[in-house]
Amino acid sequence: MSEIKVNSIKGVSASTAAISIDNSSGTCTAKLTDNGGNQFANRNKIINGEFRVNQRNHSGSAGHNTYTLDRWKYARSANSEFSTSQSTDTPDGFANSIKLDCISANGSTGAGDYAYLRYHIEGQDLQDLSKGTSAAKAFTLSFYVKCDITGTFAISIEDVNSRMCNATYTVSNTNWNRYIITIPADTTGALANNNLTQLSVHFYIIAGSSHSSGSAVHTWGAYSASSVATGHTANIVSTDHNWYMTGVQLEISDYATPFEHRSYGQELALCQRYYFHLVSGNDKLIGLGMNYGNPDFFAEVTFPVTMRAAPSLDITTGTNYYRMYQANSSGDDMDSFVISRANTNKCNLYDSGSGGSIGKGGVLVTNNASASVAFSSEL
Amino acid sequence: MTFIKYKLFKDALTSEVNVVNKIYSDHTLSIPFDPANTDYQEYLEWAKTNTAEEAD
Repeated sequence: MSEIKVNSIKGVSASTAAISIDNSSGTCTAKLTDNGGNQFANRNKIINGEFRVNQRNHSGSAGHNTYTLDRWKYARSANSEFSTSQSTDTPDGFANSIKLDCISANGSTGAGDYAYLRYHIEGQDLQDLSKGTSAAKAFTLSFYVKCDITGTFAISIEDVNSRMCNATYTVSNTNWNRYIITIPADTTGALANNNLTQLSVHFYIIAGSSHSSGSAVHTWGAYSASSVATGHTANIVSTDHNWYMTGVQLEISDYATPFEHRSYGQELALCQRYYFHLVSGNDKLIGLGMNYGNPDFFAEVTFPVTMRAAPSLDITTGTNYYRMYQANSSGDDMDSFVISRANTNKCNLYDSGSGGSIGKGGVLVTNNASASVAFSSEL
Repeated sequence: MTFIKYKLFKDALTSEVNVVNKIYSDHTLSIPFDPANTDYQEYLEWAKTNTAEEAD
């Protein structure tokens, strides 16, 4: 082993040093202009990759094809049920992970069984991948997994052009480990520059032979249902077993960099493009409004960030769950309301049965501990 | 969480049908007619073989 001791490194024709070294502290000042072709910041295409944001306050059985913690969708076959939740069991440097707890003790894996976590990415966030062109770039998926069974797990990357690339990682102990998978460049199948899903990442935790008997592994090709999880052997089919994941990063690079931590506020704002939990619980402000007609009440909601699409209103319903106060009254109650004139920045909440008076303003609040108002423009 | 029905809604100002409610036993998804909204896309698939309740 050898060691070079210098106090600066300068280009042959340069007037100033590219790297200036502090002789006493061992630190340096470097003038970097390129990070091996990768971005210095905002490298991670995955939002909520460390599972800190849980606006739905989700914990429990999600059901097939439903969102759990923000941005992460869970899907499974009929007899492969897991409880999904936010966990504090993490590797060093993380606060949260997602936990999948097997709650269907079927003990074996049928040919058609499957369960996976899925992440969708908008096309307009993938244009730097240059997929489908001669300039296509490889990208690297890295993540931490802890599981109390060992064996090989599958992931698959699928695009909207019915193309896919699968890969595997092998869990050899029950500790937290970081796994790194580089996905080769694909010069076929361009991704549209739009606000729709163009690429999806799947993390399999159960895959029967109908999903894992194909031959293609770790190469781009036409979608094949039997190849989405080729090589997957570590099926979690006992209620004794859990699977945890955190630190998910997808970056345009042929190697992995350390996980890019963002502030909670940044991560929440990124999540709110797809889902915005406005309020839940009793006597919480929803918004201000007015009576357009005798029974027609409109309240206005402004979203904290521009949403991906005009969102759906996701509202719990029940007798007198919501109340509109107007003109010093004790309030008019309503069970629900409807979204109206929604765009990606604002919407109205409309109720046709309020008891308000034309032209008067009002305050819309929750009126039950189970009341909840959210907006979804998920992929 | 039991799915009950889809029900169409008219805009109160224009009377144009531009929202469909997906009604469950304990909550409702109120879905605007935006082609990029995945709930709306799901409704359109459902409507190929089913019929939503008419707007009032």
